[in-house]
Amino acid sequence: MKQETHNNKIQAKVFEELCDAIGRENVFDNIEERVCYSFDATKEKSIPDLVIRPHSTEQVSNTVSIANQHNIPICPRGAGTGLSGGSVPIKGGIALDLKNMNRIVELNARDLTVTVEPGVVTKDLQDEAAKHRLFYPPEPGSAGFSTIGGNVAECTGGMTGMKYGVTRDYVLALEIVLPDGSVINTGSKTLRSVAGYDLTRFFVGSEGTLGVLTKITLKLLPLPAKIGTVMSYFKDIDSVLNATDSIIVKNHLHPRSLEFVDKTCIGAVRGSAEETIPEEAGAFLLIDVDGNEKNVANDISRIEALCRENSALKTSIAKTDDERDALWDVRKSVSPSLFKIASMKFNDDFCVPRSKVREVLKKVYELGKTYSIQVAAFGHIGEGHIHLNVIYNDGKEMDLSVHKLVSQILKEVVLIGGTITSEHGVGDAKAEFIGLELAPHEIEIMKDLKKMFDPKGIMNPGKIFI
Amino acid sequence: MSTDWKTEVDKCSKCGKCHTVCPVFLETGDESMVSRGRISLAEALRDKQIVYTDKLRDYVYSCKKCMRCRTVCPSGVDYEVIISALLSGVAENMGIPLLPRIIFRYILPRRILFDLMLKVSSKIQWLIPMKRRGQMRHLPLLFMGKRWIPTLAKKTALQKFRKTKKLKNPKMRVGLFTGCLINYIYVDIAEAVVDVLNRMNIEVVVPQGQLCCGTPSSTMGDFKSTKKLADVNKEVFESQKLDAIVTACATCTKAIKMDYLRTLGPSWQSMSDKIYDISEFIDKYCGDEYETKPIDEKVTYHDPCHLLWVRGISDEPRNVLKKSSDFVEMDQAGACCGGGGIFTIIHYDLTLKMLERKVASIERSGADTVATNCPGCVMQIADGFAGKNSKIKTTHSIQILQKALVDSGINKEK
Amino acid sequence: MKHFKKTKTESKKHQKVLNELIMVLGGEKVLSAIEDRICYSYDGTKQKALPDIVVRPGCTSDVSNTLKIANKYEIPIYARGAGTGLTGGAVPLMGGIVLDLKSMNRIIEICPEDFVATVEPGVVTKHFQDEIAKFDLFYPPDPSSAAFSTIGGNVAECAGGITGLKYGVTRDYILALEIVLSDGSVINTGRKTLRSVTGYDLTRLFIGSEGTLGVFTRITVKLIPKPKKIETLAAYFSDRDDAIDAADLIIDNNILPRTLEFMDQMTISAVRGYGEAPIGEDVKALLLIDIDGTEESISHELPVVENACKEKKAFKTKVAETPRERESIWAVRRSISPALYNIAPHKINEDICVPRSKIKEILQKVDQINEHQTIYIANFGHIGDGNIHVNIMYNDDPGQAALAESIVNKIMREVVAVGGTISGEHGIGNKKSQFMELEISPKELAIMKRFKGFFDPKGIMNPGKMFI
Ligand SMILES: Cc1cc2nc3c(=O)[nH]c(=O)nc-3n(C[C@H](O)[C@H](O)[C@H](O)COP(=O)(O)OP(=O)(O)OC[C@H]3O[C@@H](n4cnc5c(N)ncnc54)[C@H](O)[C@@H]3O)c2cc1C
Ligand SMILES: Cc1cc2nc3c(=O)[nH]c(=O)nc-3n(C[C@H](O)[C@H](O)[C@H](O)COP(=O)(O)OP(=O)(O)OC[C@H]3O[C@@H](n4cnc5c(N)ncnc54)[C@H](O)[C@@H]3O)c2cc1C
Ligand code: SF4
Ligand code: SF4
Repeated sequence: MKQETHNNKIQAKVFEELCDAIGRENVFDNIEERVCYSFDATKEKSIPDLVIRPHSTEQVSNTVSIANQHNIPICPRGAGTGLSGGSVPIKGGIALDLKNMNRIVELNARDLTVTVEPGVVTKDLQDEAAKHRLFYPPEPGSAGFSTIGGNVAECTGGMTGMKYGVTRDYVLALEIVLPDGSVINTGSKTLRSVAGYDLTRFFVGSEGTLGVLTKITLKLLPLPAKIGTVMSYFKDIDSVLNATDSIIVKNHLHPRSLEFVDKTCIGAVRGSAEETIPEEAGAFLLIDVDGNEKNVANDISRIEALCRENSALKTSIAKTDDERDALWDVRKSVSPSLFKIASMKFNDDFCVPRSKVREVLKKVYELGKTYSIQVAAFGHIGEGHIHLNVIYNDGKEMDLSVHKLVSQILKEVVLIGGTITSEHGVGDAKAEFIGLELAPHEIEIMKDLKKMFDPKGIMNPGKIFI
Repeated sequence: MSTDWKTEVDKCSKCGKCHTVCPVFLETGDESMVSRGRISLAEALRDKQIVYTDKLRDYVYSCKKCMRCRTVCPSGVDYEVIISALLSGVAENMGIPLLPRIIFRYILPRRILFDLMLKVSSKIQWLIPMKRRGQMRHLPLLFMGKRWIPTLAKKTALQKFRKTKKLKNPKMRVGLFTGCLINYIYVDIAEAVVDVLNRMNIEVVVPQGQLCCGTPSSTMGDFKSTKKLADVNKEVFESQKLDAIVTACATCTKAIKMDYLRTLGPSWQSMSDKIYDISEFIDKYCGDEYETKPIDEKVTYHDPCHLLWVRGISDEPRNVLKKSSDFVEMDQAGACCGGGGIFTIIHYDLTLKMLERKVASIERSGADTVATNCPGCVMQIADGFAGKNSKIKTTHSIQILQKALVDSGINKEK
Repeated sequence: MKHFKKTKTESKKHQKVLNELIMVLGGEKVLSAIEDRICYSYDGTKQKALPDIVVRPGCTSDVSNTLKIANKYEIPIYARGAGTGLTGGAVPLMGGIVLDLKSMNRIIEICPEDFVATVEPGVVTKHFQDEIAKFDLFYPPDPSSAAFSTIGGNVAECAGGITGLKYGVTRDYILALEIVLSDGSVINTGRKTLRSVTGYDLTRLFIGSEGTLGVFTRITVKLIPKPKKIETLAAYFSDRDDAIDAADLIIDNNILPRTLEFMDQMTISAVRGYGEAPIGEDVKALLLIDIDGTEESISHELPVVENACKEKKAFKTKVAETPRERESIWAVRRSISPALYNIAPHKINEDICVPRSKIKEILQKVDQINEHQTIYIANFGHIGDGNIHVNIMYNDDPGQAALAESIVNKIMREVVAVGGTISGEHGIGNKKSQFMELEISPKELAIMKRFKGFFDPKGIMNPGKMFI
């Protein structure tokens, strides 16, 4: 079995060295612990040889430099909620669990900045900021449990991207432990800085393959006074897309979120939330707008009217926070509910120019039919972003056709001018597909840069590049 | 001539803002064709890093001298000082081509010779095939051009107004500086000026001794010739008792009101203060008094560079037109029409591009007529429409007022 | 200086390069006359250095071919936008070739449905903004030089501008780049989609690289809906600290103005007379504030902002009533940078950025450093972001230049000590390369140099910049 072979790799001497350097209590070699750090939300599994749970930058640095000396793979890990296998230690070695580094180091309301350790859960930071009437916009569906470190490493997007952009747009400075154990600081805790090359953003989205983020300085915004929410059900995707067009292109309303869900997803969530979904609903749009009281009221009623004009079957406007939560519950339960349909799910997360969504969805559903595999689509439609879930039951044959289907889909996406991953990252799940999008010499450049930072290839090996 | 261009160049902060307005740069994107580039060339000349060459002359001549860059320059560079120095440097170091030199030095200062020269050519112009609405190729004045230009008038403006029409109890007595284009070609503009002013109870003198304002020679850096012309004009106008001097030519106004202050020195100041563009004059002295019956035409206004960018005159002509017609604004009214001077000869293609843009703006405005306050612009813009079979007419704004003016109020008792 | 035409063999090389360029690009795109070279020898810093050749490419392959030749003969290449940079980025310090990208100035496509547009690098920012405004779209990065600087230059410097507090900087709007690398090869980074995380973020690595890593030949940007309305307010203070407090209070009220610009007394005196409404002698500090949004949001925010100013002792506030008034208020702001030469003929332009809570402190330090007042210091800038342009003005008197330098040195140290950065938006160029070490530790500097070495092993891309 895998874990045995890996285990042999870390010699007792190295184990001792690690324990000396960072404390025995932070180093775990028991199988129970190791199993618990063997997977992420892709359901992929690979058991690490050791789990290390550092509390400080120094401990991270020590761990990494020892691993580097002994050529031991290191797989940084936030909450393990990634959807591309990023924190799965596929080459064994050390799973570096950063959840214990979870302090909000300083929140400076006047400067609109906050510095955190990587293990802080996204929602905790948002709540803390809200106490100061401040706002950290990036909001992945997993905000309640994923970490800021993981968000930065994946350049997570989320629900508010339409109006507020993605994680990258909020990262000001980083403390990074490089693969040789050295610590660097990039960026500046100021809202602007252009001194030298932008190492900060170069590390954002690097998926733990270049270094371990140990401190993160983020930019905050004033908290919008009010959020308004409308849910609108439609007969089919066409009407959804028409409604979207009239909301954002024709009327230039700029919603905080504009989430879409297709028929399969609706089937999966039906009954699992309070909200009653009309029988004939083949898609819904969930829309948030934010701003001041008057603006929100105005925008919400305009959006509702536009949805109706585009033959919405039913619209509900949240009147209270509870009602809002109830509506969002429907959206948030989509991803897990899909497992009701089948036990396996491949999560594609592509993005196309918004005007191409119709075309690409048509292709995708056709392909699903051709392969007789269920596909379910939902996503941040305002940005042309689609989470496409390929749902299937385990089995060798099935795996093969799923793989074929996925690569077909991604080919179409790239052809249309889209990208194969818009927020979940490449990880190992999509590593084989980057060649669709990136030219060979561009991949070479990235690999060379990887080598420049990590000549021994110990940082999260097997990810991004195959 | 070189007052202090050598220090003036140092004021330029190299910010590049002149890029935004220079009509030549906007067409070419050539750094050598905008003030910033020429200023750096001037620096290099000052520092003896370069000498006058054909290329340098081309770059110097590629300036339209519209002075629009000066209006935006945040460092307050007086670009005119620099370009003038460059022009005279070119003239001194490279000479001026023979033909213009003869014209500037010997013919322009002598009205009779000038008249004669043009008369000869107005005779021989019939030899040239007539094309398009009575316009002709090669007016000798613009000896090297490839342009379509209106036929010469049989009788010049100066000849027409040899005698001053006396008014009984004139409100004011003004002198008209005709300028060459109006004198020889657009005599009707002069007629309109005289007519309108007379009807407003203002006596108009057209001093006979006046000569060319000197712009053609300055444009080629021959400031000596300009000085000669200026001296004569000074004498001619100072010898008259005038409350004001008006011109209907934006370039002449710039020359005699602004440039002469440098050419002739501070002694010209008191005269300079009395010089007005015709619309400016009317707006200032008769603005509230005259009555009109607006003509039933949509009229738009093109701002001549030398009026807008040199003198900031923009409301006055519009006020006059608003009273005289159904006025509509065009976009980019202040964009150069491309006409004027040596530039049109060296950069005929650019001239055409600017003209095309101007014509398009005018067409977009939906106007029936485009009015402007400079015969040069009239000529250029009419040229733009000539080839297009367009119904849009080009005229001087004083001619619109002439049509709209009603003989009542101040002009009733005449 | 390494003018490659200096020695005899070098001059042979020069001729060869010239011939080859002319052969490949055509004569009209290759300029070598001294008059032309002079016109491409400077930028907004007033520094000058003569290039040997000026190339005016028409397309990506022209750029690629030029770089191939430059690479073969190891000749410096200086990419140049409009030459408005304030740190010497486009000045060909070591001679060689200036690549004038103003000649690549097409807007390739505007996709109003996708909220993206693709342009060539030489497109003037304002021109682009005007074009997309026709679709009611908005490209926020708005350096004061927007009307004459190029998008390529903006990307290369990661230009900020006055809308940064609310809308971020150039970096936040760039989706994809086409880049010609030093060996002439062409890469595409990013994607024309609003999101993409495939592989490393090379796009952002190149943004702000100041022409030292590669030449951008195509730029895809993200657009957003154009705000329906903008209101402008000027607030006059008799005390600098009051203005800073007012800025704080506005943001504390949960309002992010579109722009929040600060001018100190010295700055005001330099631009006095530029606008239509003269600024009184008693004005010691000024805030210029734009609020944008919808009718409703503005009607809510404007009074809050105005009250905040009044609460912090603004003795006068003025809301622009017409577009013309608005324009005239901003015209004053935009003229500051060059108008400072009205104070003294020489300027060292620092573009520091500190946490907002440290602004008072740093300005006090600046005062202290210049207590003898033989040199004039004018401060203005994007106060909401903590980005202050500290301008040290001095004259020709002996010793002044050295004094100015030493003042700059001291200021930079203080800035870094309070957690600030030596450049908020103008970049490093050669003007600030000596200060890089203050802010950036040797380790990080070494990494940056490795990037540089990796992309430009022969060191031909904008040599003399960024690093010393
Ligand atoms: C229900 C659900 C909904 C989701 N919704 C969204 C969504 O809307 N948008 C979205 O973008 N994603 C979404 N995700 C995916 C996932 O939550 C994000 O990718 C998240 O950023 C991962 O964070 P994490 O802390 O779980 O990181 P992990 O999964 O533990 O790690 C992710 C990657 O980051 C690296 N990493 C983690 N911490 C560090 C560190 N400190 N230094 C260096 N590298 C590090 C890891 O090596 C790995 O490569 C969702 C996931 C689930 C399960
Ligand atoms: C009056 C004034 C006001 C200003 N206001 C601001 C402001 O508010 N905010 C601000 O950030 N800056 C400001 N600036 C500075 C300057 O305008 C910006 O840095 C601008 O981005 C430079 O653009 P440019 O086209 O002039 O580039 P240049 O000055 O020509 O070049 C700048 C740098 O970019 C490189 N470069 C240019 N094009 C390319 C390309 N296509 N590929 C690769 N590299 C390239 C050059 O090599 C050079 O290093 C101001 C300048 C002036 C004169
Ligand atoms: S606008 Fe003025 S200061 Fe700026 S470059 Fe042009 S001439 Fe020089
Ligand atoms: S005078 Fe006119 S043409 Fe000449 S540089 Fe200035 S703006 Fe350009």
